[in-house]
Amino acid sequence: MVETTTETTEAETPGQLASAASSDVIILLNHVNKWFGEFHVLRDINLSITQGERIVVCGPSGSGKSTLIRCINRLEEHQEGDIIVDGLTLGSDLKNLDQIRSEVGMVFQSFNLFPHLTVLENLTLAPIWVRKIPKSEANEAAMAYLERVKIPEQADKYPGQLSGGQQQRVAIARSLCMNPKIMLFDEPTSALDPEMIKEVLEVMVELASTGMTMIVVTHEMGFAKTVADRVIFMDFGEIIEMNEPHQFFNNPQSDRTKLFLSQILHN
Amino acid sequence: MADVVLAEGYRPPPTVQGTWFAWLRDNLFSTWINTLLTFGALYIVYFAVSGVWAWGITNAVWEAENRRVCFDILAERAQEQGVDELTGACWAGVISWFDSFIVGRYPRGEMWRINLGGLLLVVWMVPIWLPGVRDKIYVGFSTVFLYPFLGFYLFAGGEKGLFLQVMMSLAIVVLIGNTLNGYHGVRTGRSLPAVVIAGLGMKASSDKKQRNTLLAIFAAAFALAFWAQMDWALVSVEWNLWGGLFLTLVISGIGIAFALPGGIVLAMGRRSQLPVIRILCTGFIEVFRSVPLITILFMATTMFPLFLPEGFTLNKLVQVIVAVCLFNACYMAEVVRAGLQAIPRGQYEAAMAMGLGYWKMMGLIIMPQALKFMIPNIVGNFIGLLKDTTLVSIIGLFDILNMLKAVSQDVPWRGLHKEPLVVGAALFFIICFAMSKYSRHLEETLGGGTQR
Repeated sequence: MVETTTETTEAETPGQLASAASSDVIILLNHVNKWFGEFHVLRDINLSITQGERIVVCGPSGSGKSTLIRCINRLEEHQEGDIIVDGLTLGSDLKNLDQIRSEVGMVFQSFNLFPHLTVLENLTLAPIWVRKIPKSEANEAAMAYLERVKIPEQADKYPGQLSGGQQQRVAIARSLCMNPKIMLFDEPTSALDPEMIKEVLEVMVELASTGMTMIVVTHEMGFAKTVADRVIFMDFGEIIEMNEPHQFFNNPQSDRTKLFLSQILHN
Repeated sequence: MADVVLAEGYRPPPTVQGTWFAWLRDNLFSTWINTLLTFGALYIVYFAVSGVWAWGITNAVWEAENRRVCFDILAERAQEQGVDELTGACWAGVISWFDSFIVGRYPRGEMWRINLGGLLLVVWMVPIWLPGVRDKIYVGFSTVFLYPFLGFYLFAGGEKGLFLQVMMSLAIVVLIGNTLNGYHGVRTGRSLPAVVIAGLGMKASSDKKQRNTLLAIFAAAFALAFWAQMDWALVSVEWNLWGGLFLTLVISGIGIAFALPGGIVLAMGRRSQLPVIRILCTGFIEVFRSVPLITILFMATTMFPLFLPEGFTLNKLVQVIVAVCLFNACYMAEVVRAGLQAIPRGQYEAAMAMGLGYWKMMGLIIMPQALKFMIPNIVGNFIGLLKDTTLVSIIGLFDILNMLKAVSQDVPWRGLHKEPLVVGAALFFIICFAMSKYSRHLEETLGGGTQR
């Protein structure tokens, strides 16, 4: 199943794409290409993601997985093709950009919490300054999310005083505080010790059960099997294979997928 | 850490519980060579200190009409003690000139204005250092942007235009509000607006109504202050009468207040994505950094007027201040740039991913972290700035260095060089050392909770 699910044709303009793609398509990538200098990092990516879908992206390092999801909130700029997020086309329009970013939560490999702010301040900063929510309300909401990631007692500590797993859970809660429509995870467990990976994955599984649209770049195949609606395998900047997890793991189509899976599942 | 469970076999580190005697033995007299070196060093220290002590304290003359009398007194003492000659400091000259060191040729009858100005500045800034005070950042901002107007009128006096009157009234209201805010902060930990709102019993009313009430009170206070200051009339003191430590502090104070914000703007410009802004800022920084301050000062006073329209003259003090500000902003820009580069990319990305715009990202996330890294360098630059300010004596301003040198030109104290310079060095040392100590304190308090 090398075909992608995009059903649009190249003749259509981005605006028509958004309306034609019906209300439940929330992310649409249409012939997206990107280069880092001479290096062709994303090659003709076509992808459409519907509301509430959970996508896991895997592939060897340097395959363009991170770049792909970083393009969705425009931490990286793509050079060709269209990316439409929640009906808004990503381009150089700045106002548009901040709106999209506030609706797309992102969790990083290295947490990227703000070390000069307490956990609670980390969580309330964007709601207060971007959403203009009163401080007391923001605090309340933040405590509810800390409750959900099971670390309300750490609210007044600084990020440097927490373990890696706790920091990543704070980072997830921080993204959720903005009530995002989409959550992007860029290898959220790669920088963690094994015993901490579990606590973070539990939070992510719980989040998936609420119907959040999630795109997760990860090597945690167990997570992919239990949670994902679709698994995407990328290599050399291309989407090699995309399928639902049972088919993907038990009946991979491409040789490269088979090789990758044999390597990753045997250790 | 109280919750650390000690594993079996744990034992404390093998520290030596030393007394001062053990410390001496270990550090100063451990071998016979060390013992010799210790005594040698002690002798050198004694030799240096005893000479200075005799000159500055035991042999010094504290009261005399002029330098001749100082010498006579010393000769008399030498005879009494049966030695050929005694050298001693003639502090009498320094004492009679001390006011001039501090304020230069400022009219003595008006000196209270400088004292009051200094006192108001201290009162203004004290809340920054008090625990429990809210909204300290506004205290800092108002010190930089409002106090100068009040200070300017106090120091310069004369006619006051409408703009100056408005800014002065604003400064007075903010000063009083700031002091009350500090008072309530220390007593109850609440801010002044919160106290006022509670005092009016407006807890339940809407944010908007509360804000309007506060604005109305502020406007009333402003009107009152404006009405009160209309009658004030201070005698004009021309800038060329300003001098001494006062002038040094005015120039370096304005330089310090301007250098950091100017440096931040230039550093952000240098890292800008827009090529025009980047090239302009880089060029500006490199030009000013590549030219010695003294050259810039000469250029400012001789060449700057050539670019001004006919009949429009700036006084020399303003030109010097502009030159000092620009020069130091460029140095500060490089300090800020270094600080910005120390912030990991992930911090920018996380801030951007949340939808924070450029200014909010810089103001809330990047700058607070970067400034913390920069404190030692910033304060180092401030100290350098304060000391560099003495260069203005070369272009004919009567700053402290010129006043120190002027003593030896004064007829009664002709040739008195050493003593005034020692006093000047001591004054600079006190100010600079205090700044450096304060920077260490800032580093420790700001670094405390947020260590990575």
